Amino acid sequence: MSGKVLALAAVILAGTVAAQAPKNYTPPRTPDGQPDLQGVWTNITITPLERPADLAGKEFFTAAEARQYEKDTVERNNADRRDGGAQADLNRAYNDAWYDRGTRVVETLRTSLVIDPPDGRIPRKVQQGTPAVPPGLGRPPEGPEDRALTERCILWPTAGPPMMPSFYNNNYQIVQGPGYVTILVEMIHDVRIIPLDTRPHVDANVRQWMGDPRGHWEGNTLVVETTNFNDKTRFQRAGQNMHLVERFTRTAPDTITYEFTVDDPSAFTRPWTAQIPMKKTEGPIIEYACNEGNYSMEGMLAGARADEKKAAGK
Amino acid sequence: MRKKLAILLGAAGLLVAAAPMWAHHAFAAEFDAQKPVKLKGTVVKVEFINPHSWIHMDVKDADGKVTRWMVEGGSPNALFRRGVNKDALPQGTEIMVDGYQAKDGSNRANGRDITFADGKKLFVGGSNPDEQPNAK
Repeated sequence: MSGKVLALAAVILAGTVAAQAPKNYTPPRTPDGQPDLQGVWTNITITPLERPADLAGKEFFTAAEARQYEKDTVERNNADRRDGGAQADLNRAYNDAWYDRGTRVVETLRTSLVIDPPDGRIPRKVQQGTPAVPPGLGRPPEGPEDRALTERCILWPTAGPPMMPSFYNNNYQIVQGPGYVTILVEMIHDVRIIPLDTRPHVDANVRQWMGDPRGHWEGNTLVVETTNFNDKTRFQRAGQNMHLVERFTRTAPDTITYEFTVDDPSAFTRPWTAQIPMKKTEGPIIEYACNEGNYSMEGMLAGARADEKKAAGK
Repeated sequence: MRKKLAILLGAAGLLVAAAPMWAHHAFAAEFDAQKPVKLKGTVVKVEFINPHSWIHMDVKDADGKVTRWMVEGGSPNALFRRGVNKDALPQGTEIMVDGYQAKDGSNRANGRDITFADGKKLFVGGSNPDEQPNAK
């Protein structure tokens, strides 16, 4: 009974939210006739990718619940906190002003970015004894190659594809030209170049950090299909054969509704889909010249040598 | 017992979930949680660079001996969006840094908490781009 009431409430709520966007919104066109997605957009939100256990069975917040969740999350994330002991304190790195991880949940009031399966959880194939990804080295890092991709300024796991919110630099600039859509990703300074034609994907032996994308229009929706990932990015533990379909629909002047579906039978029991609104924001994208100032790499490797010396002295 | 274990596992889960929320790189790999430092000194120069900013400062000890320190902050991008610019922290500004020293003992620390000499916050947040009228 209460489940039915809840479901009904969710339907009503979803209807209310959908009603906020103009119905049958027709996006403007580019000079060559594509629906116009151009501009600077942000996917900043504190809505979690997966529905937390304590919200199981609850697909949508009420407005009051959303405000409470936002308040609690912002307090928990606040890097100005000094509690939890020295290690936790150090892990928070620096003052909160440097972060930009958002203060609001998505405007649909969904409790997770994952919208399918309906439980809001990624349908992982859990295997007993699966090693952590990436596997630990089991020894101190000897050079930059032994550190994480992010620390080496190679690729941020949320830069995509698929594109997800992170704790700062959640900004994207979309530029369209005849035959191509390009997406400039602020974190950590990447450009996705998406051809809009039916050329075949590159050879299966060719593996790319951001995969090999192909785009086409289905009505007002840009559909981008990406394959040929490498085996190092491991999005949500997927392997290099991950098959990704992203959908970009401009649903209001200030909103692109971004959805992506991930499929990889080696990691998931079924395909799953997430939805993240991208809101128009002020530019420009700021260049994130990650390698130019990466003094921290030297600092981390010096730290590893200091740890070794300390261990040898004992 | 079982409840305690559940709480412990819950806390571990929270840590794992929270881990990606931290900085660009593992600060624990670079700095030593056992070496907290409190520095009071003057700004020599600020490098607003990516992935992380560095503040160079001179710290004078009781005998008047000056030591140069480098203090690590975060990416300048979010600060710039909040209106902070390169003139925000001129040479000679007195600041206090509460942080942890580099593992290798060099004069580097993270700026865990940086304030002006009077204790006021160095940078103040307040214009997150998602603070727009959604989900009314």
